[in-house]
Amino acid sequence: MAAHVEKKSLFTLNKDIPAYPFIILGLILLAIGGIAVLQVLLKGHEAVYGVTREVPWGLLIATYAYFVITSTGLAFIGGLGHAFGYEKYAKMSRRIVVMAFVILLAGFTQIGMEIGHPIRLMIYLILSPNLRAPIVWMGVFYSIELVILAIELYMVFNPDKVSHSASAVVGFFALLVGTVATSNLGYVFGSLNARPFYHGIYFSTFLVISGITAGAAMLMLIHNIVYKGRIPSDLEDSMTALGKLMGLGIGLMIFLYFWKIMSSLYTEPKGAYEAVLAMLKGPLSVNFWIGEVGLAVVLPLLIIVFTKARNMKALGFAGFIYMIGLFFTRFDFIVAGQLPPMRAGYEGSGVHTTISGLAHYSPSAGEWMIFALGWGVFLFLYFAAEKYLNLETEHH
Amino acid sequence: MSKKRYAIVLDTKKCLNCKACTVACKFENGVPVGDETYRIWVTALPLQGEYPNLHQEYQPSQCQHCENTPCASVCPTHATYKTEEGVVLVDYDKCILCKACMTACPYDARFVSEHHKAVEKCTMCYHRLGEGREPACVETCPTKVRVFGDLNDPNSKVSKLLASRGFYQLKPDRNTRPRLFYLK
Ligand code: SF4
Ligand code: SF4
Ligand code: SF4
Repeated sequence: MAAHVEKKSLFTLNKDIPAYPFIILGLILLAIGGIAVLQVLLKGHEAVYGVTREVPWGLLIATYAYFVITSTGLAFIGGLGHAFGYEKYAKMSRRIVVMAFVILLAGFTQIGMEIGHPIRLMIYLILSPNLRAPIVWMGVFYSIELVILAIELYMVFNPDKVSHSASAVVGFFALLVGTVATSNLGYVFGSLNARPFYHGIYFSTFLVISGITAGAAMLMLIHNIVYKGRIPSDLEDSMTALGKLMGLGIGLMIFLYFWKIMSSLYTEPKGAYEAVLAMLKGPLSVNFWIGEVGLAVVLPLLIIVFTKARNMKALGFAGFIYMIGLFFTRFDFIVAGQLPPMRAGYEGSGVHTTISGLAHYSPSAGEWMIFALGWGVFLFLYFAAEKYLNLETEHH
Repeated sequence: MSKKRYAIVLDTKKCLNCKACTVACKFENGVPVGDETYRIWVTALPLQGEYPNLHQEYQPSQCQHCENTPCASVCPTHATYKTEEGVVLVDYDKCILCKACMTACPYDARFVSEHHKAVEKCTMCYHRLGEGREPACVETCPTKVRVFGDLNDPNSKVSKLLASRGFYQLKPDRNTRPRLFYLK
């Protein structure tokens, strides 16, 4: 039962929210992405993308993971609010659900442009699905997640038509399916016989935790943008709670990172060892130390600890640099596992390796343009929602 | 009537690195020219021994037609499948080009074919087998490095070779149980 004192209509024009610059930026990125989409349609994937026989999965898979995992992290936080009564998060539920939905769509643009035959995928996932293949379950879980988020969207914008218990149940399923989807994404990689770096339970766990952390980071960042750094006092507790959640998430990430790296160095498992070395001191080391460790771990954690998660602007900044750093985390995760080649690059082998004996990958301009497409979708849709919808959650 | 179980046995010591096999494969199967588009390859292994007693071996290879098939396990649409004779094939019409199989194959045996708009690899020249012909690479090899046949037939050349000589397989630690055997 929801009782409202003064109910604002769903559609408004929010003059105070600085959305236009982001909407315009989103449109520019959409245009850039659109050009790449045309190129791919005209010339084919192979001509436009930089992925190779040795490294078949590149930037688009990394960006896909970045977006969809952040979406499930948001759904998780939303679920904590709805299903488990964490009122501090429930106060933000409209923004959470809209953002989770839009980020998921942004992720779908990446996988849609990565897969050679996306339409065929939908047909044969129904006609002849291989139930042993983790990708099938990835399709199933993320589709369910999209539907649940759509239901949640309806619910958060029509609170008077929805009972508390109904939104609790839906919130719980958003949390559950999101967690299953993300951990299954870890399994998509873990199931690759040839790539020992991905094997085991590590990535399934790490992706879920870093995703929830990303959800908190996005919320802190976006609230700071929307309120121009002056967070309303009734949201301050929520922001602090998010900051603490993020600090906890980063703490767990350190724990997981540390043991993953130690165990890969200790016994030198073939494939996994070379992948970890590629991050620690090989071609991915700048990404790793500056992006993953500096921006996604050390700096945001220091900010949160030293401000005790009470300085709102600092939280927004921590969220911002975390999201930049996390991109490197996702990219390195995808690429590192594929750098140890399956065959040595001897003469005649057909395998291209660098002097260090690793395969090489750097994204092409076309791949960066599709990356821009994903951001375009997110910025345009999300800030249009901020501008034209009422995203302030009404108090129950 | 016993089912056939096809295999290729390779006596790499006989290999000249003439690459007739790779050319025959391209020709037979219309494999596009390109740096990354090949079904089979012949690797020059590093020189061994001390000067002047040096020697070098060549290692022809291709899809191993694994019995435990990591590429097929991860294929979401069953585009990659195994025939009852154990030949691993790709149904080009079902392939969605997700490239999971490429990342799962420990032998780097697959590539994206622009021509088929699908993932492609060695088929053991499956189209020939029904007519009783051998794969093109086997037929063409001047020194008979490559021997093709049925493991279920104890009188086949492959069965006899494997019974009489020591052999090894590539990457046994991956547990794929290849159908390519290398004679020692
Ligand atoms: S060698 Fe690779 S492509 Fe061939 S059957 Fe084995 S895993 Fe599949
Ligand atoms: S690329 Fe094609 S053959 Fe390979 S796993 Fe995907 S659908 Fe199957
Ligand atoms: S045709 Fe025979 S000898 Fe020539 S490279 Fe191939 S396997 Fe070696």
